[in-house]
Amino acid sequence: MKWLPYELHTHTPHSDGRHSLMEMALEAKKLGLQGIALTDHNTMSGLADRDEVQQETGIAIIRGLEWTTFYGHMVTLGLREYAEWRDLGPDDIHKGIERVHRQGGIVGIAHPFRMGSPICTGCHWEYAISDWNDIDYIEVWHSLFPPIRNHNAPTFAMWTDLLNQGCRIPASSGRDWHNSKPNDDPAAASFLGIDEELAAVDMEQAAVDAIRKGRVSLSMGPLLLCSIQISGETYGLGQTVPVSGKELSGSASVIIELDSNVRKGSWTMPKQTLRVELVSNKGVIGECSLSADDTAISCLIDTKGLLWLRAQLYGTFHECSTMIAFTNPVYFGKFTE
Amino acid sequence: MNTLLKVKGELSPVCSKTHITYSFYIPEGVTELHAHFAYSPKVLEDAEKSKELVLESLAAYVEPHLLPVYRDKWESYLPLNNLITLSLDDPQGFRGSGHRHNPDQRYILSEQEASPGLERGPVISGMWKITLSVHCIVTETCDYELQVWEGEGTL
Repeated sequence: MKWLPYELHTHTPHSDGRHSLMEMALEAKKLGLQGIALTDHNTMSGLADRDEVQQETGIAIIRGLEWTTFYGHMVTLGLREYAEWRDLGPDDIHKGIERVHRQGGIVGIAHPFRMGSPICTGCHWEYAISDWNDIDYIEVWHSLFPPIRNHNAPTFAMWTDLLNQGCRIPASSGRDWHNSKPNDDPAAASFLGIDEELAAVDMEQAAVDAIRKGRVSLSMGPLLLCSIQISGETYGLGQTVPVSGKELSGSASVIIELDSNVRKGSWTMPKQTLRVELVSNKGVIGECSLSADDTAISCLIDTKGLLWLRAQLYGTFHECSTMIAFTNPVYFGKFTE
Repeated sequence: MNTLLKVKGELSPVCSKTHITYSFYIPEGVTELHAHFAYSPKVLEDAEKSKELVLESLAAYVEPHLLPVYRDKWESYLPLNNLITLSLDDPQGFRGSGHRHNPDQRYILSEQEASPGLERGPVISGMWKITLSVHCIVTETCDYELQVWEGEGTL
């Protein structure tokens, strides 16, 4: 498993973005990213240059598009061809999702709490969802400097609430990249846990698989990972700690790893003591301090009644006291993936 | 040039979130397709109406505890715009979409060339569809014009 930083929400002049796919891939490289998903509004024509851009820049490109509909924006990734949305009414989203899944693609709700029409047409999510298991991921962090954006707070709360209800739904970040300016606020990256065997055969599917299974860690700076060690086994992001018979009780160690060498040169952070919170369906169940030079620490937690557990990193970043990174959850349940 | 479709229409706010689809026939031997689509006005100039719509939106979309802060800066959401986007289907399926904010749009499609948003390829004979997706109309009325023609030359 290797963790590669991706930007999962981008536009080119094939819809309303400013930079071409080549220009964006070169910018992505400067930002230390390994891949992007091209998600133009309602078209895939910008992907005509994909092979050339991948070869020239080394940036892996996931094929996708952003369904830019009247009742919500939905990012679709891993598509081979366009999937129809124009016949979908506010109660028909599952019919649309089925068209994406049939192609082997995945769907993510984009910026669900952004303001809608007429301020931003269709930007606020209004589709009725009857089965959350049909939604492959949620863009929990949207835009530049996402932790300080007001519209991401209700998304974060909604995601947490869904996890508490037992939904295993991954979170992603998406810059919604339309252009680049010299003094842009910091961007977050979605670090995808790439299965190297799958990547050797199909890099795009390996990236899509990582998102689908929740092997995603989001960060504006260092890569934050968390895993649980129990009975000699280790369970990472998106994986399920098996619980047999009665609920799991007792203690387990949580390993928190921090890698400050990722995307080197494209972010900075003042020297400081950082704080990691271990958050679960039972609230915050652990807390520890560490420095950016620490690579791994462990702490003991009580596993009784846990459904999920994730790590959240806090500190000063870009002159703000803020959340800097968070992981997708490790789950607890009756089966392994 | 040979005109294949020429239409005009008038929209109002109730047309928001609707699609208008025109079907038209393309005969054998066409190699280059052109379209011009324009709508006007783009912007809601009425200051009173703009304020009313922004405040309505804020009440609908902003978390209640933040509402006073947003109401104070309601002018930052101006101007409010009409948005209509165009998409194209050939007899075999989707051929692309122009999700643009400019209200005056030109398109070309042939085997060699395609405007951004459209898929390059042969202009096959049969029934084609051009769809106007009316995302939002904020002005009392909004006039549009659409013309499609084949062959070289401009309007």
